[in-house]
Amino acid sequence: MNPAASAPVKIDVRGLTKRFGDLLVLDNISFQVARGEFLAIVGPTGCGKTTFLNCLSKLIPTSEGDIFIDGRVADPRVHNISFVFQEPTCLPWRTVRENVAYGMELKRFPAEKIRERVDTMLGLVGLSETQHLYPNQVSASMVQRITVARAFAVDPDLLLMDEPYGQLDVKLRYYLEDELVKLWQTLKATVIFVTHNIEEAVYVAERILVLSNKPTRIKAEVKVDLPRPRNLIDPAFVAIRKEVTELIRWW
Amino acid sequence: MVEMEEGIQRLGRQDRSIANEVQKSVRERRPLTLRRVITNEYFLHVVSSAAFLYLWHEVAASGVFKGGLCTPWEVVVRFRGLLTDTLAGLTLWGHIGASAQRIAIGFVLASVVAIPLGLFMALNPYVNAVVKPVFDIFKPMPPIAWVSIAILWFGVGEESKIFIIIIGTFVPCLLNAYNGIRLIEPELYDVIKVLGGKRWNEILQVSFPASFPAIFAGLQISLSLAWTCVLAAELVASRSGLGFIIVQGMKFTDAALVIGGMVMIALVAWVSSLLIAGLEKLLCPWRRDIRDL
Ligand SMILES: Nc1ncnc2c1ncn2[C@@H]1O[C@H](COP(=O)(O)OP(=O)(O)O)[C@@H](O)[C@H]1O
Ligand SMILES: [Mg+2]
Repeated sequence: MNPAASAPVKIDVRGLTKRFGDLLVLDNISFQVARGEFLAIVGPTGCGKTTFLNCLSKLIPTSEGDIFIDGRVADPRVHNISFVFQEPTCLPWRTVRENVAYGMELKRFPAEKIRERVDTMLGLVGLSETQHLYPNQVSASMVQRITVARAFAVDPDLLLMDEPYGQLDVKLRYYLEDELVKLWQTLKATVIFVTHNIEEAVYVAERILVLSNKPTRIKAEVKVDLPRPRNLIDPAFVAIRKEVTELIRWW
Repeated sequence: MVEMEEGIQRLGRQDRSIANEVQKSVRERRPLTLRRVITNEYFLHVVSSAAFLYLWHEVAASGVFKGGLCTPWEVVVRFRGLLTDTLAGLTLWGHIGASAQRIAIGFVLASVVAIPLGLFMALNPYVNAVVKPVFDIFKPMPPIAWVSIAILWFGVGEESKIFIIIIGTFVPCLLNAYNGIRLIEPELYDVIKVLGGKRWNEILQVSFPASFPAIFAGLQISLSLAWTCVLAAELVASRSGLGFIIVQGMKFTDAALVIGGMVMIALVAWVSSLLIAGLEKLLCPWRRDIRDL
């Protein structure tokens, strides 16, 4: 399960196992992610995708195995890890602009750099005009953009996304997926994107890991070697989508 | 599959902006009709208030309650007189001031202790473990039950009244500050943890600001309880205050004085809750545009 040999390995997950008491959720998962790669992980609901990301980000301890970033054990104090959670995590008391700056403030970026980068990010996600509003004054899709912009803004070593667009309606989701791909191409982050939506995974990712049911293992790996922007009714696209669907349906 | 159909819409969508607009307010223009006037909210407010005053007037004029009820107008006249005449050495303003001062002192003293204590209890399990059992003993006691003991301890002066207000307002202040922190979504802390932030980041960036609305809700509850408490204290033993006005009215069978006192308490309590609401708007600008909260 190695990424393309061209780019150096950025993330190395070795024998990741997670138990909650007697319940084995993640069973000896190993894989690698190349620098700047966009990896999607798909799996049925409840198979442990969120648990998996929580382990990768060190929010919860692993039972066995570990994750290495640039050859060192991942550590939020050392590495730059960003997480876009399934639930909205904008701070209601900060304006849009302050929310985008929030991650960089926590990372203690210099003020000048924060100002510059916030301007760039706001421009990239189309929030410049609404930057002085509070999150409760903008739409749900904008709130999700704020957290995505905030996550990219810190220039992360590893960007984890947990079904960030799961709650949005289809049109908005399409729009935000395009935006996400654009951000990734512009800012060159290493992304692990979790979703239960197969089409979404094929649309955004370069490679897809398919998870099994609990106890969860990596069931298959699918390369998505399609040009961008991708076309949903392109036969090659449809073929990959069907392949992944079959893999998931297989249990 | 739904996704397939939607997929077709996805073609050529590169430059379509869907989610960029912000709607600030909507106002519909409609012609003024009789129906609209009658169903107008403010019109209905006026109608119900007028009906209430009329009913009150009629019942009072009919004399069923004899000296126990006076007309609304008699109340107005009685209290207009009190603006310049004195009752036990104080004008109406003096009595309002006396009650308000007790409330202000008791309320401030209670909140500056109860709010930080509630926050600490929510943030630190050890503080919680120490304070909670004692707090749980006092929590269900109605503050009015403290009136007698307050007078035994502090006499009939200002101290006993302030003491009762402190007792009455302490519990909701503390509980709301505590719950304000308890109910914070854990993901807000996770954001900080993932980014390598420290515990004090969590407290300053999330715990405190997130608890503000709950703290203000607690202050509002406390304030209305404070008026109940001050009234109870003044009814028992006092030479001033709105409660004292009511007691005087009762002693001399002066219905206008009793009813007027009640109305004044409602008015002053309402104004003071507006002050707290104003303070909240000032300190929590992000809540300004939320209605019905
Ligand atoms: N803290 C926990 N304690 C016990 N079981 C948990 C905990 N967190 C998750 N689980 C279990 O792990 C499984 C995977 O959950 P989750 O990672 O949320 O799945 P997904 O994100 O794929 O929907 C579920 O069966 C859930 O019950
Ligand atoms: Mg999940």
